[in-house]
Amino acid sequence: MVSATPEILPLVGSLSTKTFTLLSVAAAVIIFFAVTLLARAKSNSRGHSVLLVGPPDAGKTAIFSSLVYHQALPSHSSLQINCAHVVLPPSKTLRIVDVPGHPRIRDQFREHLRIAKAIVFVVDASTVSRNAPAVAEHLHHVLHAIASLPPSQPTPKVLVLAHKADLVKAGASSSSVTEVAISRVRTVLERELEKRRASQTGGVGVESMDAESESELGGLECGGTARGGFKFSEWDGGEVDFIGTWVEVGEKNGDQDGLRELKDWLEQLIR
Amino acid sequence: MLDHCSISHRGGVVLWSRSFTPEASHVASSATSPVNSLIREALIEGRTAEQKYEKDGYAVKWTFFNDLELIFVVAYQRILQLAYVDDLLTAMKALFIKLFEPFLTTFVASLHAMNTGNSTPSSKNGDTSWNFAKAFDGWDGVFDKLLKTFEDKAAQERKSRFRPQARAIQVESESPSEDDSTVPTESPDVTQDEQQIARNVQALKNRLRGRGGRHGGRVAPRADSGASGPNSESESGKRKTKSKTQRKWGDEVPTESDMATLDFSLDKPDAGMDGRLASDLRSLVDSASLGTRTKDGLYEVKDWDFGNNGDASVIAKALTREASQRSTSSLGALGSLFARLTGSKVLTEQDLKPVLEGMKQHLMKKNVAKEIADKVCESVGEGLVGKKVGGFQTTSNTVRSALSASLTSILTPKTSTDLLLSIRTKLSSPSQRRVPYSITFVGVNGVGKSTNLSKVCFWLIQNNLRVLIAACDTFRSGAVEQLRVHVRNLSMLGVDGATDSKGRVELFEKGYGKDAAAIAKEAIAHAKENGFDVVLIDTAGRMQDNEPLMRALAKLVTVNSPDKILFVGEALVGNEAVDQLTKFDRALRDFSSASSGKSRGIDGMLVTKWDTVDDKVGAALSMTYVTGQPIIFVGCGQTYTDLRQLRVDSVVQAILSD
Repeated sequence: MVSATPEILPLVGSLSTKTFTLLSVAAAVIIFFAVTLLARAKSNSRGHSVLLVGPPDAGKTAIFSSLVYHQALPSHSSLQINCAHVVLPPSKTLRIVDVPGHPRIRDQFREHLRIAKAIVFVVDASTVSRNAPAVAEHLHHVLHAIASLPPSQPTPKVLVLAHKADLVKAGASSSSVTEVAISRVRTVLERELEKRRASQTGGVGVESMDAESESELGGLECGGTARGGFKFSEWDGGEVDFIGTWVEVGEKNGDQDGLRELKDWLEQLIR
Repeated sequence: MLDHCSISHRGGVVLWSRSFTPEASHVASSATSPVNSLIREALIEGRTAEQKYEKDGYAVKWTFFNDLELIFVVAYQRILQLAYVDDLLTAMKALFIKLFEPFLTTFVASLHAMNTGNSTPSSKNGDTSWNFAKAFDGWDGVFDKLLKTFEDKAAQERKSRFRPQARAIQVESESPSEDDSTVPTESPDVTQDEQQIARNVQALKNRLRGRGGRHGGRVAPRADSGASGPNSESESGKRKTKSKTQRKWGDEVPTESDMATLDFSLDKPDAGMDGRLASDLRSLVDSASLGTRTKDGLYEVKDWDFGNNGDASVIAKALTREASQRSTSSLGALGSLFARLTGSKVLTEQDLKPVLEGMKQHLMKKNVAKEIADKVCESVGEGLVGKKVGGFQTTSNTVRSALSASLTSILTPKTSTDLLLSIRTKLSSPSQRRVPYSITFVGVNGVGKSTNLSKVCFWLIQNNLRVLIAACDTFRSGAVEQLRVHVRNLSMLGVDGATDSKGRVELFEKGYGKDAAAIAKEAIAHAKENGFDVVLIDTAGRMQDNEPLMRALAKLVTVNSPDKILFVGEALVGNEAVDQLTKFDRALRDFSSASSGKSRGIDGMLVTKWDTVDDKVGAALSMTYVTGQPIIFVGCGQTYTDLRQLRVDSVVQAILSD
């Protein structure tokens, strides 16, 4: 009976010396790994991702294959997302995500929005006047998603690409083909977005089924709305750039001149 | 005879394509190519269960290889019936994968670059130059050989089918020995008994009377049947080899044999009677279905076997069989677990079948129509067969996520559902002189058209639009009075601080028993003169099978060409939804295109009585699947504010929740 209590003490003593040190070392290692993983995840969240979104048949997959494989492969309507890494000349890599444009599956871009550094909205400049309402609706959804990002995340930059500029008829003006394409896309989109904004403000929307979620699409607020009309230069969500490009689908290997401005813009992005 | 073949990736890149005619190559590179239409209309909407797609005179067949996410498409003219296309697709798939597997794996991997490891994939890409033309070098020759073997086989089959037919025609042209035109070929040593002599005399008399229509008529059909023989591939030649017996008209003297067959007197000795009776007896009673005799000697009838009704039991039997079969599969349970952990387990049809069956039952429990649940589960299964599933994801989880993606894509609208925007666009367009925007509400009886019309009217008034309600339900007693009460109520509700809304909403009615199309036309003219913005047209409820009423509805649509035709359906409907919507859509398209050439179908749907189903909301899925059109509003109550918009993710969640 007297020997019972001293027997316990050496056990605790042995615990305290050997296993305690082991346990503390193991705990430190685990904490160190956890911290590094978290840090890496955070750095990845800022990421160098560029999203290619836009209405169907705009040419997103052709631009994607041209940037990744250096040749514009023939393509049809995409069914799923393509993402790949692209090396730009000063040895910097960028992750490009090509999102399908079909209205039923275009909402997949929201999952990648959080890690996006820039969003490129590709528009077919030769047919934009014909299907302006559909293009404007798509752009509205994208702008609304950007505007509803939490303020802790840096806003991605927006670029509107007036694609297929080589199919746009220049007309009598002496300006280059890309400038004509850019101006046409800009005016058409501004007009349609203004119509959308006017139909939403000053109206009563129908609530959606669960009352807590918002049903209205906002995101088109401009500073200085007294002047009337939606202008990209006055958009509250950030800067919107415009570039005109084109791509030749075929067997040519080598750098496409039509995407030169886009590549310059992307390089400027990472700098 | 094919027009276009292509092999492409699901992400959109076309790996190889070939057009066989210059017109097909021109169409294939445009946005309206058959491949593009197939993807936009069939694959994205999840209608892959039908396995055949037709558009613009092209018939398109396809197959998937889900492990490498490839789509193989063949397009040909719809009027041709090519039987070898399915075999060509499977052979093409097998050969292509076998020949180019390493290149394809690296290609597909490059399209799914994950966020980890920024440096290594980029260096790999920089080194390898992607030369697609060289990668698929030998494929053109292989494909040509494959196509040639299939076409030769098909040509041989057609030739072998023609040869017995040709022989049959030869036999036929020799058989008309009774025809008068071939009298010189009669052999001289025919039996000259009395009847024969009498028949010959009669035939001579007929010939001298002149070629009657009877004989001429008998010649023509045979010539026709001879000519049409080679044209019909499907008709077998065996039928023609039977010699046709000439029909006996009543103008000839009956022969001895005729007399024997025409004798029905009772005292004829009938030796074969007993034998005939015995066979009849056997056919009267089916010995397998005889009942049982009880101990007392009573004969009890056999019980009715609910064989047809035992669907659930059959499925249960099949599932248990499947489960027992699964345990004896080559991998075994432990082996498949290891395979899954190492990331190399490939989903087969046997793995997927029980899970899909369970998913189908779950969907049907949530009030999705049976055919729709069938088709959706089949298309999900097709997209998953052959896919590699790894990690700790079980088969049912993979199927569930694929099903959720498919349901979301079916329910997401492909056209804009913003009604206010369309109205404002039409009203502000300068070309037309303030033509009001018209919406027609159609549906079967008792779904809530008039109630939901008044809810929509309330919403439009709140948005400062002037609404005219046209009472085109001239059949049901009380329909016009009901709308009058609604208009009175709506006028009493104020907007924007005003005490009432007089002048914002009015009713246009012409009583009962009149033609609905004429009332609608006058209503729109009245609205145009008095500056109304929107016209809401209420029609009578009608069953989808009632053809005269569907024609009347199509006439209303043709005469007035409303801007939107909304089908009102209730959320309680089950399998009936499929029937209602297909017949309404088809009837509207057929009857309206017959008269004016521009076919209108259903443009949108309004689902009512949503508050009566708590989460059994499968009717929404059935309705959008059948028409492809979006659900614009949801009615969930009987007051004016009970109008909601559909949220796709909450509906998908409700359907998939347990």
